[in-house]
Parts: sequence; C-alpha cells; structure tokens
Amino acid sequence: MHKTRKGVSSVLLVLVSLIWLAPIYIILTNSFKSRDEMYANALALPKDFSLGYYLDAMGRLDFLTVFKNSLILTVVSVLLLVVLCAMASWMLARSNGKLSKLIYAVLILTMLIPFQTLMMPLMQEMNNITKATGLQMKDSLGGLIFMYLGFGAGMGIFLGYGFVKGSIPKSLEEAAIIDGCNTWQLFWHVVFPTMKPVLITLAILDVIWIWNDYLLPSLTLRSAANQTIPIGTQMFFGQYTIEWNLAMAALMLTIIPVIIFYLCAQKYIVKGVAAGAVKG
Amino acid sequence: MKKFAKVIALMLTLCMVFCLCACGADKDTKSEKKITIFQQKAEIAEQLQALAKEYTKETGVEVEVWAQAGDDYYANLKTSLSSESGPTIFTLNSDAEITEVKDYLADLFALSFIGDIDSTLLAVRDEKTVGIPMTAEGFGLVYNADLVDPAALTDMDALCAMIAENGKGLTTVGLSQEDYFLAGHMFNFPFALQKDPVAFCQQVMAGEVKLADVPEFQQYAKLLSAIRANQVNPVEVTYDNNCGDFATGKTAMVHQGNWAYGVIKDFEPAFEMGITGVPINGNDKIAVGVPSVWAVNADASDEEQQLAMDFLNWLYTSETGIHYMMDEFGFIPVVKGMENENMDPLSAAVAEKISTGDILPWTFNTEWPAGIISVDLAPITQEFFTSDMSEADFLNAINDAFLKYAE
Amino acid sequence: MKINKKWYIVFVVPILIPFIFTVILPFFQGIEFSFVKWNGLAKAEKVFVGLQNFKDVLHDDRFMTSLGRTSLFTLITVVLVNVIALAFATWVTSEIKFKNTGRAMLFMPYLIGGLILGYVWKYVLGQGMTLLAANTGNESLFFNWLSDPQYAFIAMIVVATWQMAGYMMVIYIAGLEAISGDVLEAAKMDGANGWKEFIHIKLPLLMPSITICLFLTLSNCFKIYDVNVSLTGGGPANSTEMISLNIYNEIFVQSNFGLGQAKAIVFFLIVAVITFLQVRLTSKKEVEI
Repeated sequence: MHKTRKGVSSVLLVLVSLIWLAPIYIILTNSFKSRDEMYANALALPKDFSLGYYLDAMGRLDFLTVFKNSLILTVVSVLLLVVLCAMASWMLARSNGKLSKLIYAVLILTMLIPFQTLMMPLMQEMNNITKATGLQMKDSLGGLIFMYLGFGAGMGIFLGYGFVKGSIPKSLEEAAIIDGCNTWQLFWHVVFPTMKPVLITLAILDVIWIWNDYLLPSLTLRSAANQTIPIGTQMFFGQYTIEWNLAMAALMLTIIPVIIFYLCAQKYIVKGVAAGAVKG
Repeated sequence: MKKFAKVIALMLTLCMVFCLCACGADKDTKSEKKITIFQQKAEIAEQLQALAKEYTKETGVEVEVWAQAGDDYYANLKTSLSSESGPTIFTLNSDAEITEVKDYLADLFALSFIGDIDSTLLAVRDEKTVGIPMTAEGFGLVYNADLVDPAALTDMDALCAMIAENGKGLTTVGLSQEDYFLAGHMFNFPFALQKDPVAFCQQVMAGEVKLADVPEFQQYAKLLSAIRANQVNPVEVTYDNNCGDFATGKTAMVHQGNWAYGVIKDFEPAFEMGITGVPINGNDKIAVGVPSVWAVNADASDEEQQLAMDFLNWLYTSETGIHYMMDEFGFIPVVKGMENENMDPLSAAVAEKISTGDILPWTFNTEWPAGIISVDLAPITQEFFTSDMSEADFLNAINDAFLKYAE
Repeated sequence: MKINKKWYIVFVVPILIPFIFTVILPFFQGIEFSFVKWNGLAKAEKVFVGLQNFKDVLHDDRFMTSLGRTSLFTLITVVLVNVIALAFATWVTSEIKFKNTGRAMLFMPYLIGGLILGYVWKYVLGQGMTLLAANTGNESLFFNWLSDPQYAFIAMIVVATWQMAGYMMVIYIAGLEAISGDVLEAAKMDGANGWKEFIHIKLPLLMPSITICLFLTLSNCFKIYDVNVSLTGGGPANSTEMISLNIYNEIFVQSNFGLGQAKAIVFFLIVAVITFLQVRLTSKKEVEI
C-alpha cells in the first residue's frame, strides 16, 4: 500500500474509533461529577478530576473482596471452559458418528433458550444436587463455576468445532499418528497448540461474559463474602435513582482489568497464528 | 509446546481441587447462630449492614444481609423461596405479593410490640399476622412554597388554569417517566376518593362501572390533558431531572412522595416545601400507605424463626434499633410512642398530615391487580402523552386493562 | 481416524456433565411447567390445563406483535452488525498503524455489561439529544428518541449494533488471520487486489466465520433482554417490547409461570427453525481445507 494512503487510513481509524467510543465519554466524565453538576450539564467536562468518587466506590464495594471473587470465578471458569471445550469439540468434530452430531446439535440449540425461562428450574435443580451429594451449589463460587461450565459449553464447542472442521488440516494429525502419537498425545502436542487462536478468542469472550455477568451470580451468590464486582455495583442503582458518579466509577474499575487482559491476549492471537503457519 | 501443555495440565488440576474445596468449604460454617435478611430498598442497604454488625456485637447472633437485587428483587425472592433456600427475614411490597407467597409466611403475632401498631397497617392472611410495616410513606403534590400557595388549589379547574398560565416557562406539575411515577401514584387519587374504594375497585374489575362516566376520573384525565398541552412531555423527564428541576425552582410542584427528599437534598434547595393532595373535587388529602412489610420465612427452622423474631423485637424496641430506624433510615414512625425528631422536611410534612388524619389509602398497592402498573397502565399513559388520544379513549383503555384481570 | 470409546468418553463427558445439569434438565422441567397453571412457588397448587397455555399464547396479541417486532429488529440488526464488523475486521487487519489500539477501542463497547450500557445510552439519546437540540437548534434530528415509538425502536437497533459489532469483529479477525499468507500471495500473483481479492478470495475462505457470526448475532438479537430493560423498558407504549421481556413480565411480574413457559417454548421452536435454516444455508458454502 502507498505510504500516504496508509497514513490517511491510520488517522481515519483513530477518528472512527474515537467517535465509536463517544458514549464512553459519558461514563468517564460523570464518574467525576456530583449529582448537582451532572444535572447542570451531563456532557460538559467535570470541574475537577479528583479521584474521590473512585475511592468512595472502592470503599463501599469492599473492593478487595469483590475483586478477588470476580478474579477467581473468571480465571477458574474460563480455564476449565477453554480446555474442556477444546477437548470435546475436537473429539466431536473428528468422530463422524450419529451420537456426535446429535450432541453437537443439542449444544447449539440450547444456546437459543432465553435464560429467564431457566432461572427457576435451574435453582431447583441445584438444590437437588446439594441434597443428593452434600456439595453446596448455591452461594458458593464452586457451584457458580459449575453452572458457568454448563452455560458456556454451547458457545465453546460451537467455536471449537467450527475451527477444527475448517482450519486444522487432517494431514497434520495423520502425520502425528504415523509418528506414533496416541490420542491423548496427539491432542495435547498437535491439536491443542494449533487451536490456540480460536481458544484465545473463546477465552476473551468468556472472560468478558463471566466478568460482567449479573443475573446468574445475583441468583446464586448471597453472602457478602461471595459478592462479585457487578453485584456490588448494583448497590448504586436505586429503584428509581442512580448514584451516577459512584456507579460510573465502579464501572470504570470493572472494565479496566478486562481492557488490560484484552490488550495482552490480542498479541497472542497474532503469535498463535504465526506459530500455526510455521507448523502447517 | 510440551511445556505449554504441561502448564495447562497443572493449572487444570489446581482448578479442579479448588472447585471441590469451594463447594464443600461453606458447609462447616452453618452450625453457628445466624439469620439472613433480604430487602429491596437500596437507600437503606448500607445502614442496614451497619445495623447488622451492631446486632452481632450485642447479641452474638450473626446477621447476614444479602446483596441488592434491584428490579429483580421479587423474582429473586420467589426463586429462592421456591427452591428451599429463602432468606430468614425478607420484605414484601404489595398486598398482591403478600397473598402470593402467603404459604411461606410465619405468624408474627408473638412480637412484643405488635399491640402498638395500628391494626390496619398489619398484613393479615388466613387469620395470621404475616407482615409488620417497615415505615409509612406519603405522596401527593410536593410544592415549592415560594411559587405555590396550596390554598389556591381549590379545585381541578384552578390547577388546570395554573398549568395553562405557566406554560413551558415554569413547569406546574412535574411528572417523570418511571412507571410508578407516571401511572401509579397519581392515578391512585381518583380511586382513593371514591366513597368505598375497595368495593369500587372490585366493580371496575367486574365491569360494573365505566371509568369514563365517573367524575373523579374525568377530572384526572383533564389534568393529564392540561399537562400534555402545556408542559414538557413527562415521558422525556427522568426522576433525577424532575427532582433537580424542582430543587432549582424550574418546577413549581412535583407529584412525589417523601422518599424524593433523598434526591432533592443533593441540590441544596433554598426554599420551604410542603405537600398537598391532587385537587380532584378540591381534595387536599395526601395518599399514605405502607410501602413494604417485614416477613419471616415459615420454611426456616424453628430456631431460626425464633432468632428472626428476636431480631425484629430488638429492631422495634431497643434503643439502638429505634435509633437506626429513625435517624439512619429516616423512617416515619409506625409504632405508637416512637417519634422521630430529625425527619427531613417532606417526611415531617407527611407525618403532620398523618397526625391530622388528612390521608387517603393506597389502593394501587392493596386493590389493584399485581403488575398492572408496569404492564398496562404505564404503556397506556405513555401512549396518551405521545399521541393525541382523547380523554375518553384513555379512560376506556384503562378500563379494559382492569377488566383483563377479572377472574 | 479411528477413535475408541474410552477416549471418546474422556474427551466429551467432562463438559457434558455440567451442561446436562444446568441446561438440559431445567429445560425439560420448563416444558413440564408449560402444561400447568401455576404462579411459580413450590408450595402453590399446580393445576394441569393441558394445551390451554399454548392456545392462550396464540391468541395473545401482545405476544404476537412482540414476536413480529423482535423478528424485524433481528433482521435489521444482524445485517448491520455483520457488515460493520466485517468492515472493521478487514480494516484493522490491513497494513496500517494503530491497528491494535483501533481493535481494542472498537471492541470496548462489548466490555460493558448490557444493563449499564443501556442506562448510558438512555442518557445519550434522552437528555444528551435534548441538550444538543437546545445548542444547535436542529430539532428534526436532535430530540428525545426514546419518547417516540419509531425512534425508540431505531435506538434499540443502534445500541445493539454498537455493542455487538466489536464482538463479531474479533471473530472475523481470527478468521482473517487464519487465511494463510500463501493463498493471498498466490492471488496477488494472479493480479487480484483490493476489492477483488476480498470478494473472491477472502470472503469464501471466511464462510466458517460468517456462519458463526450470523448464528451468534441471530441468537443474541432474538434473546435480547438487558438492553431492552434498561434502554426503553419496552416503552413508549410497549412499542419496543421484545420477546424476552414479554416472557419475563409474564413469568415474574404477572406470575403466570405456565403461560410464560409456553411462550418460551413457542419462541424457542421458531428461533430454532430459523437458525437451523441459516446454518444449513451458509455452511453449504463453506470450503473444507
């Protein structure tokens, strides 16, 4: 591409991105304003950029606790989801049996069920598990992780299955088998590394989903020691009025870690693809 | 690549171990004395946490306040009750809700202070006292005394004339877009002003009355018309802005309740304010009722139920409990002998009306079918404000909505 | 490739266990509830009414209108989201500067939960617009969108598109980067560039990503709830009430648990048929390597 065209295109991209993010300007500026100042003009820049509302929000959220809970919940769920979905989707994609097709179809179909209709039966089901096994499913991070595995399965296998079918050459696997790999080794040494780009994409999507999720944790997590950031933030949303400054400050605190994560993971997408290309 | 796989395998094992620990760990803590509380008012959430800590300090009983559920409160409560994991103490917000979950409500008659509460404020089902009032709240036209003399609101014509005269320069009656503020609270007045509001609501649902023929409703529709013709569309106004406009003198009156002071005070208003009724037939009474009641879960163990009763007794009779209810929550007292000297101006005005008996019932909370405000009345009112729907059509649409709920 | 049963179980079953307990069993229980009249509380009486709930669904005008509206919303939004996402993805994978920053910024809306995002947009389209109108004097474009039935519907489309385009962009990026350099090199040798290269080389190779994105946007749009609740709440005058909100109101606001479940099942069947047709149609065009 020409240098000038490249330059124009780059500047344009920055401009479009800024316009795209205009609504986020509202979140940022209003996290510095009092109710009074926001009423006067919600679009203006704040009078001063003191971090007062941020500190206030952190204090009221019990930030260390909620941050720790969100982190554990997200990291454990996503790791398990990515690995288990990678395993299952490869197996389902490569074994062309009727059972595999059925399992795949059911997984995909259930992605279409509105969550609101599952709420009540789901909680009753969790109750049955607790009664039968003695494991605490409600009001425990472990139980919630279990539910995330269930609700994330469809999406994970959907993405993984498509990638295996479309982007992993069968010849790659056949060569490894000739080299003497068994199924376990084949998956871990050849297939799993090749799936890296799609798995990182999946990880990004799952991290965002679980990190921000409100409805499911609000149904299951009760005690103060188990709260996550989105549930804590709900405290600033009254029935009719919103404490905008604190809510927006809390929101900024919620999204910054995910942005950092995304920026780090983004590099790996490129690297993963490069590695795959060398191998292929 | 082998390293990568090994790291992943190690992490996975750790995750599994963690999962099992996390699921099992919470079990052991259950033996202590502990009750749980679930309630919807975000405004008192933090103070309630502090109160819970004080209670644990005084008595050794752990009180756990569940996190807020906002608009999903009732859905959450039902789900937890239905899956046998409900809270020990919770709040219910309308008669319809109380009736619906009545099988889960314990009898509270043994509470020590129950005789000091006006019996009409107690929730009774199947001859059991199942709910005790948290507080009383009142709503009506909250006015800026510098701009409005309540004595001038002699009847609906006077109010409508005032709206036309002020035009868009000064909003006369500020309404806002939220369902209850747009189509719930103010609409209570024509119902509550009937001779027998309870019987009247039943007649409406049975189709024996046509709202368009009832003078109180004609006057109400006239008021909405005047607002539509002369003011900024209420559908475009948020609660925050409504309060802000009032506090800064751009609105003469807002139709609100004493709870609004929490928002109004943030703007530091520099005028006296008071509260009066919507002047249908010259009415100056305001509507007062119980916004929510405390209830105890009948599914909890006998020991937990007793602990819950102890807590409620403590809340309503001990010095610390009363201090919290009055000074921290800012509640209007509902128990005989309890007084609040530090009430905000609006709550004081409401308490004043209560003491002189100038009050009307909350039919919307006790007689109207569950969910009708947000599912039917608000959409119809929105349509009225955003189209040129006639007053009669509006009342007929409301009429049809009530008929839908007849059994 | 030969696969024995042992390995099949080891690979597939671990994820199926939580899936069955959290999705499949509750779903079947939900079907059971659609034949009873019930308020959703375990202690309350469940009255068996047979197919009555399903008959009621078909005669529920508000549900039917909402179904039509949700379909229209989905159709428009799916097209918009995918066109924009694909354009963005192509742009940020081309040889330009700031492309990583651009990616992150375009993706950012998806980092915010739907509920809060709805509240923020409500501010922009409500008070923000009114402020702009006062400052610019242009009242034909700048007015409160949310109090006009048609514009409130458009607002739903705008916000949903804004939220999802970045999300789909990430999937398209993964797809574009998986296209091997050799193929593009070869195409260049044959004289394909720019638009031609995109239509004839990239697009066919992107079909798997397109299938995925169409499916995800379809199901997300049909199920939309968060943005609906916080942005318009279904208003004004029900003009933007989508199906999920309608079902939620039936179940939790009006306590008709059975009727709500029946609605959910009817809805599920319709969406399942539509997405099945979509996946069939697009995956036929996929090329296997």
